[in-house]
Amino acid sequence: MGLSAMVAIGLSLLMGFAGQVSLGQGAFYALGAYAAGLLSVPKELFANGLGLDPLLALAAAPLLTATVAAVVGVPLLRLRGHYLAFATLALHLILLSVIFGEERLTGGQTGLIGIPALEVGGRTITGNLHTAVVWALVVVCFVIAQNLVRSRAGRGLQAIATSEASAAAAGVDVASYKLRLFVLAAGFAGLAGGLYTYLLLYLSPDAFTLLISIEFVVMVAVGGLGSVSGAVLGAVVVTLLQYYLQKFGTRQELLGLDLPIQTPTVARIGVYGLIFVLVMLFFPRGLLPAFTGALRRLGRR
Amino acid sequence: MTNFLQLVVVGLSSGFAYALVGIGMVLIHRTTGIVNFAQGAFAVMGGLVTATLVDDVPTFLAGLLAVLLVAAVGGAMGFVALGRRGRTTLLASLIITLGLALLTSAVHLLVFTDVPRTYPRISATSWDVGGVTVDPQYVLIACVSLASALLLTFVLRRTIVGNALVACSDSRRAAELVGLSVRSLGVLSFAVSAALGALAGLLIIPLIPLTYDSDVSIAVNGFAAAAFGGLDSIRGALAGGLVLGIAENLVIGYIDPQYQLAIGLVIMLMIISWRSRHEVAT
Repeated sequence: MGLSAMVAIGLSLLMGFAGQVSLGQGAFYALGAYAAGLLSVPKELFANGLGLDPLLALAAAPLLTATVAAVVGVPLLRLRGHYLAFATLALHLILLSVIFGEERLTGGQTGLIGIPALEVGGRTITGNLHTAVVWALVVVCFVIAQNLVRSRAGRGLQAIATSEASAAAAGVDVASYKLRLFVLAAGFAGLAGGLYTYLLLYLSPDAFTLLISIEFVVMVAVGGLGSVSGAVLGAVVVTLLQYYLQKFGTRQELLGLDLPIQTPTVARIGVYGLIFVLVMLFFPRGLLPAFTGALRRLGRR
Repeated sequence: MTNFLQLVVVGLSSGFAYALVGIGMVLIHRTTGIVNFAQGAFAVMGGLVTATLVDDVPTFLAGLLAVLLVAAVGGAMGFVALGRRGRTTLLASLIITLGLALLTSAVHLLVFTDVPRTYPRISATSWDVGGVTVDPQYVLIACVSLASALLLTFVLRRTIVGNALVACSDSRRAAELVGLSVRSLGVLSFAVSAALGALAGLLIIPLIPLTYDSDVSIAVNGFAAAAFGGLDSIRGALAGGLVLGIAENLVIGYIDPQYQLAIGLVIMLMIISWRSRHEVAT
């Protein structure tokens, strides 16, 4: 939940403030996870592991992800609108085929096992402690994002979202601002991915399907474009929704009808699809902002 | 050399299918400005419905029914994706079509389960042309795809409805001012594109079985084909589809089948970022 919130904060900055649609944020999440995993797996367990201290690997994960984002961002961000959306989607698909294809490097379909647990000062960070660490880092990301929004750069980015040409005319360095934000959002996703690695201590490509990239966009759409706190709320709501759909879908029957085994997936992609259509048609500012707005209007009566 | 030619021939068959999907995207983009992500879902629906119907009715009739059904669904989707007048931006429409594609694949999973579907090719025997095996199904795909592209070009140039669609692509506002209903034309273009997508799906499914989640890769490949011609040219989409199909199949043959989609996508990314460098900022 906290992990998704971290990615969603970055994506909401990218989509809401700078108006850049990324359908491939899951790629950076996966990249962070695999970076942390490969750096810390001991050589004896996995031939390409580096066996570094997990803490060091965790610190390196967002940095590596941000570096990759900086490199691919230069050509990608030259694209606008539809092209950027498809290009980021393509990025995720390309990364997935590398994960599956380069078995010796990534463990391929079988995944990556034997990742050591995160230890700080002799204490192993698992379970509740891990959750606490994640949320503490969510707060850090949140503060960074809020500061950015209120800064000169934040105003520049909002100008870009309205019109790139007029922002450029007003003296905003469009390309560099977009790239820096793209790198920051990728860094957040990379950090979340690294933390995910030390939650499960096992990586499988099945955890990073295209659906997660779509899920992050759903979170931002629910929480409201252009609101950092909305992104966190969206992540919480969608994760809970996902949990209840899973519970509901695994039931044997509903109202006397037998449910087929595919029900959880059907419910998940169906609900996401519905959210996209409804939000874009009727609540372009996001589901939750529309909901609280309606409550406020009711309260005033 | 024979091996190379064989790879090219197989690549052409999937290339013509990508081209059909891409041409549909071009038509919608020209008329409405929307990039339709659900184009892959149309192909999957066309394929899956035909593969199910062939058990009960003759193949030709099954295909025809599937195309009509998908065209109707496509028109309805177009109505939703066009959104509310003046309120829905083009990028919002893209997300709507993404949502519709997700909804469609949920329905596909529910109705057709996750088993890959297929049905027999038009002929069990294939031809041997100088050592290269040519399946009649390849020829069928090529003919249908070329005929559709020609017919569509003819309709756009020579008929009143076609001219109205072209008018929309030139300027939606001007088209409205001369009394055209841009919205109905948009719905029409979605229906026609859906029919083209369905054709692509039902022709390729005997060669490559499809499942409920095949739509993403079809949509991305179709977009890549359409982007080759800048999303606005039928000929460009046709050329793009063929280049992509051949390139991907050469990757399968000479490098690694794992990287089929990846290399195709890298080619697409290079082409569109090269193109964008030559476009004036809008």
